[in-house]
Amino acid sequence: MKRYSVFVSWVVALTCASGVAFAEAPPRQIDLSKFPAARLDDVVVPLPSEVFNVLDKLGTPDWKGQFRSPNIVNRGERPQIALLLGAVIAEGFVAVEATDRERVKSIGRDVLELARAIGVEKAVLARTNAILSKADASDWIAVREELDGALTDVKDAMIELKDDQLAHLVSLGGWLRGTEVLTAIVDKSYSPDEADLLNQPDLLRYFQERLAEMPPRLRNNQLVARIQKSLEEIAPLVHQKITPASVKRINEITAEVVKAIDSNA
Amino acid sequence: MRRILFLVSLLAIGAPALGTVDDAISRAMEAISPYIKAGYIVRADQWCGDLGVREQKAIPHTLFKGNDYWFVMGTDADNARVAIHVYDSRGNLVETDSWQKGKFAAAHVLPGATGTYYIIVEVTNSPDERTHWAMVYGFK
Repeated sequence: MKRYSVFVSWVVALTCASGVAFAEAPPRQIDLSKFPAARLDDVVVPLPSEVFNVLDKLGTPDWKGQFRSPNIVNRGERPQIALLLGAVIAEGFVAVEATDRERVKSIGRDVLELARAIGVEKAVLARTNAILSKADASDWIAVREELDGALTDVKDAMIELKDDQLAHLVSLGGWLRGTEVLTAIVDKSYSPDEADLLNQPDLLRYFQERLAEMPPRLRNNQLVARIQKSLEEIAPLVHQKITPASVKRINEITAEVVKAIDSNA
Repeated sequence: MRRILFLVSLLAIGAPALGTVDDAISRAMEAISPYIKAGYIVRADQWCGDLGVREQKAIPHTLFKGNDYWFVMGTDADNARVAIHVYDSRGNLVETDSWQKGKFAAAHVLPGATGTYYIIVEVTNSPDERTHWAMVYGFK
């Protein structure tokens, strides 16, 4: 399979680049520590699909066992709604993995409801409609793309509304719920390869930095402060070899914080 | 981030930049289209900006072992040449394949481990002082 995909990639590359002049060879090694800071971009936050795409290849875990019913009625302030929105979108990926049509549709409606509550409904309406129709058609790959798109559209709409901090909280909510699910799956059948998916120290640092930069009114929000503390606890666990004990502990931490997001506690 | 870079570009060279940044994005999208046909999922976000000749930019990204990535770069400047390469966090070149064709370039990565990788984009030649670029990627 891998050999086949490498072959396809070569064919595609050669086809699209017919007449390609292979340019001067790049250096085999560079010193990243000497890279000018001004030329270093922010860390890219991966799409949830990028993680779930790998999980697809690791067997068939009990996805339904990972379901959590988000409480979108008992909503708090905007930071909690933003975090919940990210977590609910991540929940959509779990429902897609479980190929549960009704659950995906219900999550699509929840996403719309939360987007409305935070003032970005218009940005996500087309996506949520597409989630419903593509779930009806059991087109799971397309549903996943729409969920990725919903996450991007919501964040873009928030940035346009000068709510960059809330956009970061949406990403963080998704990452926390995604990490809770990932660690639950890895914990059930630990393998170093699966645990390696948690090797995301720079991404974690990125989230910590975004929280640290937030204005005091957000940073002092009880839920945001709790998440900041949780990330501090997770950081050392992903800065070393990720053992079964680390996986279990990360799962406990993320499960507690996702519960807090969900219950507005 | 795309929006931030986009605004920086606007501030740097004024309203006429609007078309050129969009053109760089269009070029990058054009270059990645064969990969879509080959089953790659292309992320809707784009990374863009402007660079001087031989100036590089590093974009750190968490890549997951088990995924297959193509990073594609394009520019709006017809006579420019761009390059894109991928390094791991220790600075080792990790791409399994790459190509460059004037205003387009691409790098293929099959990460050996999950972790932070650095996508280095560069304008290697250009008639302009600053050259707009855009980067998109796909995975499967």
